[in-house]
Amino acid sequence: MRYVHLYFTCIKRSMISRLEYKKDTVVALFSFFFSNFCSLAAIYFILQAIPALAGYSLYEVGFFYGFSMLPIALDHLFSDEFWLVAYRRVKEGDMDMLFLRPVPVMFQVFAETFQPEGFGELILGVALIAVCSANLTVKVTFGAVAVLCVGAVFGAVIITSLKVAMAALAFIFKRSGPLLQVIYNFSSYAKYPLAIYPALVRALLIFVLPFGLFISLPVDTLLHGAHNPWLLCGAIIGCAAVFFALAVWVWTACERRYESTGS
Amino acid sequence: MIEVKELTKVFRKPIRGEGLSGMVKTLFSRKYEEVRAVDGISFTVPDGEIVGYIGANGAGKSTTIKMMCGILTPTSGSVLVDGLEPYRKRRQVAQNIGVVFGQKTQLWWDIPLIESFKVLKEIYQISDADYKERMAFLGEVLDITRFLSQPVRTLSLGERMRADLAASMLHNPRILFLDEPTIGLDVLVKEKIRQAIHALNRTYGTTVVLTTHDMTDIEDLCSRIILLEKGSILYDGPLTSLKNRFGNLKTLTLTVPAEIRAETAPVLSEEIALAEEDGRLVLRFDADKIALEQVIQYAFRDLRAMDMKIADISIGDVVKTILEQQEAEHAEKV
Repeated sequence: MRYVHLYFTCIKRSMISRLEYKKDTVVALFSFFFSNFCSLAAIYFILQAIPALAGYSLYEVGFFYGFSMLPIALDHLFSDEFWLVAYRRVKEGDMDMLFLRPVPVMFQVFAETFQPEGFGELILGVALIAVCSANLTVKVTFGAVAVLCVGAVFGAVIITSLKVAMAALAFIFKRSGPLLQVIYNFSSYAKYPLAIYPALVRALLIFVLPFGLFISLPVDTLLHGAHNPWLLCGAIIGCAAVFFALAVWVWTACERRYESTGS
Repeated sequence: MIEVKELTKVFRKPIRGEGLSGMVKTLFSRKYEEVRAVDGISFTVPDGEIVGYIGANGAGKSTTIKMMCGILTPTSGSVLVDGLEPYRKRRQVAQNIGVVFGQKTQLWWDIPLIESFKVLKEIYQISDADYKERMAFLGEVLDITRFLSQPVRTLSLGERMRADLAASMLHNPRILFLDEPTIGLDVLVKEKIRQAIHALNRTYGTTVVLTTHDMTDIEDLCSRIILLEKGSILYDGPLTSLKNRFGNLKTLTLTVPAEIRAETAPVLSEEIALAEEDGRLVLRFDADKIALEQVIQYAFRDLRAMDMKIADISIGDVVKTILEQQEAEHAEKV
């Protein structure tokens, strides 16, 4: 409970920082709308060019794309500061102050930034899903909706866990940004149905970097009733729990190796 | 109470070649050099004491402080802060200590100072009553009330340092670590900060460990100093006995005509060491062995000084002299 309260205090702080620079806020708002407009246009053009993909119709591919944005957007909202840890903060010794406070370092990194840009992606994803669903004729079952919700929320947990673990490696290597980037880029694979990939990549996307597990499989379940939704829910939640536990473990182990910088 | 025993921190660094080709070779090399930043030091600081922790740049002062406040994990040896190891019980220790690094601010850069304090209030779980009392005390001794609503990035260095100091004292820590709290500040702000440290120590009995290159800080504040060089303790004891260890050393800096050179200048006594620094003539001597008056007469009469500055021995000179003695002792043994 204390941490929930503390989290909101810190987030408020982050928002005040954001609004401190008036012109910057205006520019940020503008670029936010512009970049979202651009990605929406890009999706439209892609969908126009691809009438069907590996047996999936135009709207099904659109649905995939829209759904894949949800866990990524949720992750973006809460854990953006880890990029800075991976690229800069450890290397520059800028983590010192976090070690001086009576709160877990990882919590402070989460609480350092709240990225409202994530809402834009969330809205965009939901809009794309809504438009595509209207043009699809699928039997919506309760199980399928449940597995989509679980996929979005716990998928975000998995992405965040990967991010935390990769960022933690910066404590050892000083800079782990490029590594984090590589892992993160795999999420773009998951924007398309698993069926288009060779078996090896498919296995990789389910068992190693499980973007396929929480994006493709739930969508397939809705569209084609491909999997048992409750089993899949269990698998995703279990996977998220394991990834999160591993991330915390990696972070805690690496944190102690922080070397700071000379003054 | 801080207990430091056989504390050691070793940094491992790959041995690097120079230039691009050297850097590429480094990628495939497994050679490392060990840098012993802190090398087996031990000392104890009792409650309520103000200790000056001094030494040249790179002597290992900041590294020790960072181990004492839980940022760095020691390679070997131990630190106990009120009976707890900071790198194992980091959160518990953090609740009882305050830290200021003069070179880095701990405040949020782009929000008003008061907002930073409000966040710290939540982080340290300070009650409303305590918070009010602390803000009144700190507002008075550090004079920060005037710029509370300004964002930290718009504060001057002096204001920022006072703000940082206030932030570190907000939760009434039992121990305060100050790493160069007066660096780059003007005399008035330095004075203000010293008074605040004194007030805090008197009012709350706070233990203070302070690093600085400013001799006046040390003389004003510290009853005891620990002198560090190359990761080892060279001296640990009262300031006065360190200064008197080499007698009453003074430095005379003279502006003299160009034809007066250190090598050819008339000699008054073997007790005076002559050197040229930045086009000036520098005389070093022990005022207990040769009278200051005599030296000044000599400077004007024989060296035809046009201008003169008298200074007590600086902490740098003390360190230098101790080091020179150490090397000499070492050479004798060999």
